[in-house]
Amino acid sequence: MPALRNKNCNYVSNKEINITFDGKSYSAYDGDTIASALLRNNIRLIGRSFKYHRPRGIYTCGIEEPNALVQILNEHNEPNTRATIKKVYEGININSQNRWPSLSFDVGSINNFLSPIFSAGFYYKTFMGPKGFWKKIYEPLIRRTAGLGKPPKNFRSKSIHQNHNVDILIVGGGLSGLIAARKLINTDNEVLIVEQDSFLGGILKNSNKVKKIDGKSVFDWVKETEKLILESKNIKILKNTLVTTYNFTNHLIALEDKFAGKDIDTNKAELILHKIRTTQTILANGHIERFISFRNNDLPGVMLASSFEKYIERYGVVPDEKPVIFTNNSSTISLVKSLINLNCKPGAYIDSRKKKDIEDETKDYLSKNNIPFYPESEVEGCEGNKKVEKVYIRSSNKEISSINASMLCSSGGFNPDIHLFTQSKGLVKWDDKIISFKPDTAFQNTITLGSVSGNYEFKNLCNEINKKLSFLKVNDLNLDIELNIRNDFSISELWETKINKTSKWAKSFIDLHNDVTTKDLKQAINEGYDRIEHLKRYTTNSMGTDQGKISSINSLGIVSKILKKKISEVGTTTYRPPYAPLSFAAIAGRSTYEYYDPERKTPIHNWHTKNNAVFEDVGQWKRPWYYKKYETETMHQAVQRESKQTRDTAGILDGSTLGKIEIKGNDALEFMNLMYTNAFTKMKPMTSRYALMLGEDGMIMDDGIICKINDKHFIATTTSGGAPKVFSHMEEFLQTEWPHFQVYLNSITEQFTTFNISGPKTREIMSKVFNKIDFSNQSFPFMTFKIFDYKNTQVRIMRASFTGELGYEIYISPKHALELWELIFKHGKDFNLVSYGTETMHLLRAEKGYVVIGQETDGTVTPIDINFNWMIGKKKKDFIGKRSLTRSDTARKDRKQLVGIVPLDKSQFIEEGQHVVECENLPSKIKTPVEYLGHVSSSYHSPNLNHCISMAMIKNGNKLMGKKLFVSTSKGTKNIPVEVVNPVFIDPENKRLVS
Amino acid sequence: MILIDCPYCGEREQSEFTNGGEAHVIRPKNPEALSDKEWGQYVFYRSNPKGIFYERWNHSHGCRKWFNAVRDTSTDTILKIYKLTDNRPDISEFKSSLKSPSGEPAVGSGNFAVKK
Repeated sequence: MPALRNKNCNYVSNKEINITFDGKSYSAYDGDTIASALLRNNIRLIGRSFKYHRPRGIYTCGIEEPNALVQILNEHNEPNTRATIKKVYEGININSQNRWPSLSFDVGSINNFLSPIFSAGFYYKTFMGPKGFWKKIYEPLIRRTAGLGKPPKNFRSKSIHQNHNVDILIVGGGLSGLIAARKLINTDNEVLIVEQDSFLGGILKNSNKVKKIDGKSVFDWVKETEKLILESKNIKILKNTLVTTYNFTNHLIALEDKFAGKDIDTNKAELILHKIRTTQTILANGHIERFISFRNNDLPGVMLASSFEKYIERYGVVPDEKPVIFTNNSSTISLVKSLINLNCKPGAYIDSRKKKDIEDETKDYLSKNNIPFYPESEVEGCEGNKKVEKVYIRSSNKEISSINASMLCSSGGFNPDIHLFTQSKGLVKWDDKIISFKPDTAFQNTITLGSVSGNYEFKNLCNEINKKLSFLKVNDLNLDIELNIRNDFSISELWETKINKTSKWAKSFIDLHNDVTTKDLKQAINEGYDRIEHLKRYTTNSMGTDQGKISSINSLGIVSKILKKKISEVGTTTYRPPYAPLSFAAIAGRSTYEYYDPERKTPIHNWHTKNNAVFEDVGQWKRPWYYKKYETETMHQAVQRESKQTRDTAGILDGSTLGKIEIKGNDALEFMNLMYTNAFTKMKPMTSRYALMLGEDGMIMDDGIICKINDKHFIATTTSGGAPKVFSHMEEFLQTEWPHFQVYLNSITEQFTTFNISGPKTREIMSKVFNKIDFSNQSFPFMTFKIFDYKNTQVRIMRASFTGELGYEIYISPKHALELWELIFKHGKDFNLVSYGTETMHLLRAEKGYVVIGQETDGTVTPIDINFNWMIGKKKKDFIGKRSLTRSDTARKDRKQLVGIVPLDKSQFIEEGQHVVECENLPSKIKTPVEYLGHVSSSYHSPNLNHCISMAMIKNGNKLMGKKLFVSTSKGTKNIPVEVVNPVFIDPENKRLVS
Repeated sequence: MILIDCPYCGEREQSEFTNGGEAHVIRPKNPEALSDKEWGQYVFYRSNPKGIFYERWNHSHGCRKWFNAVRDTSTDTILKIYKLTDNRPDISEFKSSLKSPSGEPAVGSGNFAVKK
């Protein structure tokens, strides 16, 4: 039989829809949340708890829900959805979480009876050893039993970001927010109202506390106000939108659900992340009811009293017709009135306040309606099989009696929702009257209105708002608010009730989401965790997805009692954004997949693809890594083939990704002399030079070839990944240190496509491609370049080499690049020309002992460390980093230095990154660190020498030439015996390079 | 995310800018004349005050221009922005605007959300 329906509810339509929960079909109404729909069908058990797998039901009616988390199967398996805020629609398919094999029979609930070992600090204490157990046994076990829903299926979110710049942001469209908005209608302020629900009204729609406003029903008053706002020229409303973050400088983040109550259309943005900048923030985000800890306060059927009322008033469903009500304050009488209005009668009314403190109106109303009334009493606990069946009451004479009931509503008072206010760095203060923290000093332009400011008195509300908004010079607004309850709020302090009946099953929870009990808090304090931030982390209290919204202040109350301190002395834990979990898809917005980071392709890219290149990411660039000659060719085979062929005949590399910077101006020469280590003054025009750039700390930052066209015009190349850094570095010094220099920088990386062609047959190929140019050694010597016309564009050819072979670099306009590339191949075919990728480039460089910036160097390497003394313009008075090279530490002789390393047994292979040591074998059990000299930075099998060649950075390397050392392996404790050699393995006399 | 008023482009989001560390650190004219300690001071040492801080910013995803700013590091408020060619504003200009979030002490940090 479905639950009783409140026909007077205006917020849920009469349209019936079908939903599926755990494979069974149910009917609900359009406008229901999952929770209200399930309550309508009398479903109370909705999930299993995080640690003990205890049965759990719906505890609240909103964002604060700690229990009712479900998985939405038809929305890409979306897990951990709050049943209390997710709206249903026709065909929604919902599953309960964290149970196996089924919700009512869950094997994991054995944990409940093992609970003594799951107490506070359980993870820290239990999983200490033995070594290796964590990864193989503990972690997989915990991951299977603890935890929440299953990960969502792979899907592509269409969520977007939207920016707002407004004068005033009102957070919360409840009574206070609407009064403030009404005052701002048609003023000069641009206003944005953000409401998390699909209806405005807040407390007006969630309870029957307010009877009438200005003689109108609250529903009519809200409707009228909304109409006035929508007709105004200056106020906008965002519904289904939750403010999650309050940053510095009044910058707030809000998340809008565009498909609340609708099935997702995969072609449209389902979530919008609003980034709101505002001058003035008005927080009118209300309060959250807190619970009371008693024995088994987690049983399905226990619910917060105001949430119960919200189900009746907002969703028109009466979860139970005879609930027992347990309170410590004056607010719950409105729930009794709601029930009586529907001809229902609470099973009992238990008020912990002293009889004299309880309002006469309440006492009269209860006795008039014959409701069993227990003043100065408390609930000791409740029992039942997966639902509340019996409630145990400790009366004023301390005797315990039990009554039958199927639901128990509890109210432990209200917390102003200070989360956003403290995120904004505002200061809060303890208020003994409402027994909670409330905002005190704002740090930014923040105003709090209504219950979030700690004002629970409706009659006083207009006064408060008029006063606080008076600085905006808007008209006062005074409303006649008629109430169903007393205007003043009264509460007595009560955090937990004493347990009389103990059993393995009996637990009094303080955090329902993370299964933390009040006992855990006491134990943690006994163990010395008496600071609230430590206690939180040790017990995981309030660390669940609900962030302890209904319980965190309670834990402060309990802790303060144990420590015999005031709650204000105990302090709160830090409130951090987000206020409620927000999906990663919303944060990412459109920056996903191919839009995450731009991909840069060279003009030759399509040719590479056609020729079966395998690509490597270098920065944003896609560079050919190696080319597969045939389907089954491995990378090793391809690289060996490409390297051999290049040294034997000729090879060509697409070097377009190299950074290119043009330096022009009257002071270009002086500028270059300062930026690079090399001396450029005596360099002849139309020659080029390999150059090093250092940081001011003397460490190598980048390298490249500098072409000097004349003293006022240079072109520098940089490494592919280093181009933006080098450019910014140059720009920084030009602007900040030498603004008097007449120098202009221009990035021309994309303006020129670059090919590196090298190998003994290169000269013949080049002479055929550019038949008008004389490539002989006399007229085109090493490290010179020529500029000439090619189809009305400028082509620069430079004689330089990456590989140690005879080589040229061609810089050509991208327009003609592919056609020239193909022309080179047409002529190159006769000379066995091969295209090679970055891996072969590294191998060829390593054979010649050329370092790769970022491979041999790591930001701690000076030019002297890699034997580049010859590149330092010692006669120059100054350059960036020069002074650092003579600092006592950089000038030290025993720094790590670059050496070559070859295995003594030529069949052995040295792995990159391995340690160079002096011992032949590593101990099988390492007790003290093994002293190591350095590491292998590059290692390749050289097809031209037919053995492994490596470069290493080792301590005092220059002195160790010819020494026998060892290199560790990933395979075992036996090290590889190696010899330290000169790192130039091929053509040390540079004969190939210069002839 | 703070707003930064680029002197060349106007107010833009922080994400367009790169922080360049302490401002008014001048590269020594004659590095060779300095002792290791003096040179090390220039290369490695920067001040990191809680409160008024003179720093450099670069509008790296905009006009690429460098400029200076005075920021209160305890509140993350930018108090003044000026071009590299402008004079360093005197610290007395800013003293009055110093306020600490949530009443935290002058040194250190932590959770000081509750008014005593």
